[in-house]
Amino acid sequence: MSEPIDRRTFLTRAAAVGAGATALGLGAGTLIPRLAERLRHPWDADAFPPPGSPRVAVLRASSYDGDLEGVVLDGLRAVGIEVDGASVLLKPNLVEYDPGTVVNTDPRLVAASVLAMRRLGAASVTVAESPGHRRDTQFVVTSSGLLDALTAVEAPFVDLNTSPLARVALDTSFTDLGELWLPRPVVEADVVVSMPKMKTHHWAGATLSLKNCFGCVPGRVYGWPKNVLHWAGLEQSIVDVAAAVRPDVQIVDGIVGMQGNGPIQGTPISAGVLVFGTDPVATDATAARLMDLDPGRIWYLSQAARFLGQGDLELIRQVGEDPERDAVDFAVLPPFEGLKVGSDSGGSVDAGQA
Amino acid sequence: MTTLFERAAARLRERRVDGGFGPSPGLAPEPEPTAIAAIALDDRDAMAWLSDHQRADGGFEILAGPAVTNDAATATAAVALGPGAARERALDHVIKYRARLTPTNPEAPHDPDTRGWGWTADTFGWVEPTSRAVLALQLLRPSAAAEIRDGLSVLADRECPGGGWNYGNSIVYETPLPPYAQTTAWALIGLQGALAEPYGRGMTTLARLWSAERGGLSLAMTLAAFRLGGRPEVPDVERALSDELRRTDLLGDVVALAWTAIAAGPGLERLRSVAT
Repeated sequence: MSEPIDRRTFLTRAAAVGAGATALGLGAGTLIPRLAERLRHPWDADAFPPPGSPRVAVLRASSYDGDLEGVVLDGLRAVGIEVDGASVLLKPNLVEYDPGTVVNTDPRLVAASVLAMRRLGAASVTVAESPGHRRDTQFVVTSSGLLDALTAVEAPFVDLNTSPLARVALDTSFTDLGELWLPRPVVEADVVVSMPKMKTHHWAGATLSLKNCFGCVPGRVYGWPKNVLHWAGLEQSIVDVAAAVRPDVQIVDGIVGMQGNGPIQGTPISAGVLVFGTDPVATDATAARLMDLDPGRIWYLSQAARFLGQGDLELIRQVGEDPERDAVDFAVLPPFEGLKVGSDSGGSVDAGQA
Repeated sequence: MTTLFERAAARLRERRVDGGFGPSPGLAPEPEPTAIAAIALDDRDAMAWLSDHQRADGGFEILAGPAVTNDAATATAAVALGPGAARERALDHVIKYRARLTPTNPEAPHDPDTRGWGWTADTFGWVEPTSRAVLALQLLRPSAAAEIRDGLSVLADRECPGGGWNYGNSIVYETPLPPYAQTTAWALIGLQGALAEPYGRGMTTLARLWSAERGGLSLAMTLAAFRLGGRPEVPDVERALSDELRRTDLLGDVVALAWTAIAAGPGLERLRSVAT
């Protein structure tokens, strides 16, 4: 990271800038032009710094055994993260437990990331999630093996579904939500790490570090499985939620991903990689390319690339494996064939309520 | 030797804050955990908290913003409140604020002529909030025949192939969704014998699922459904739930703890209804 600024300071400054801009927007004679601008650009430009040319690292990892902690350390160092003295919150993708497939970020990777963050000097490392498909968090955390893995590395788990909440005004308006209730552990952490599973998604095309931010939204406010966000527009909600959470670091579990009818009922596919980044758009664009998907055709990712991060693969400084050369052909459902690299058509569907 | 109810009730009482109950230890009270705890403990302070926090329109919301009003706890709060005007206002709210009629679609088909109840106002109907409303209306407002019938239709429509319930649609992209223990238990508690065939298949499904879904909330709601249904698995589920409470404290989830106290104690009788 080029500028030593902590997450809380950054978000406080961004919020202050956003509030000021909003106040100015209410002045006589400026309201209509501002509303028109808002329709064209549903985000507050002052709240989002230009993306620049971030580094994304793709490191080979063929299995969850072996020195995962070492690979994670290498990846985090390759993208230049600094967590010395910081409170770190790891947000894995823990949706559901199905012993027959690979829905969740592997607990061994989460545990290895806990250890790596400590090695890099983190003052505290917490693992937190509000599972999207199960109200019974204890069932998912226990059956998935995450609780045992965290016990082994003496790391706490926080259920974001039952955490204290903070009201966060949105700097984006892709939905008409206007604000979100987010768990205080997420809002108050110095560094939030989005740790998605590399998966296809039957409404949005792909689920990666941006979509993983849905797990920061508490079910006790938004329902199970967070239907309000689907109702508001799934892909639009992905952008608004990710822009509110703004994960500082991303670690994508692509050692074994999911293809087909993801994010729950797809089939395992070995991609053999971990993807690291500090810009969630750049990380997801790279991960999508590794899945043989065109990031520019994933609607929410293309929108996020307009303001939240760098989506142009030519401007992302790739470290490690080549995402084009090492792409793995993730199967997609028929409505998403247009997302594949080189296909004739593009687009994704938002079917809604399931 | 203390019973499961005594242990759960004692732990639950420790979680009381300002007369009500929050979702986890130390948090400010919210309607859902307060309502469930009030039923479990026959707790007058919790009932008073509910009365004090009822909106003018009879509903109970946990938090609200310009676009989100989660009032799904209202039906459970109606059960928790004693007889009187506050309960009647809550039931009026349940009847007034059903889910929106939603067109079906080929990816996630459902009966477009049914509404049920959603988590948040003016959205899609889901199994858990619909089950809460069906339970409250069958118990306390059986004259609301049309609304009860609609809720039962939603539960019939959402039944998974083979029995039991997921959260919402039973089929997505032509793939059957699996039933879950917690949602199946909620539907069975809501139905209590109504829709005899789905109810019977649901019980059979839950008997198959429960031993593999050993989270505190799933086990507690399973125990409640099995006790209401007179199932032989009750002692085994109670033992498993007791072990989880001892081993994990249910991860501090007050809703799971309160359901444990309901399922293992006398509060369950307040949920016993006669199917219409």
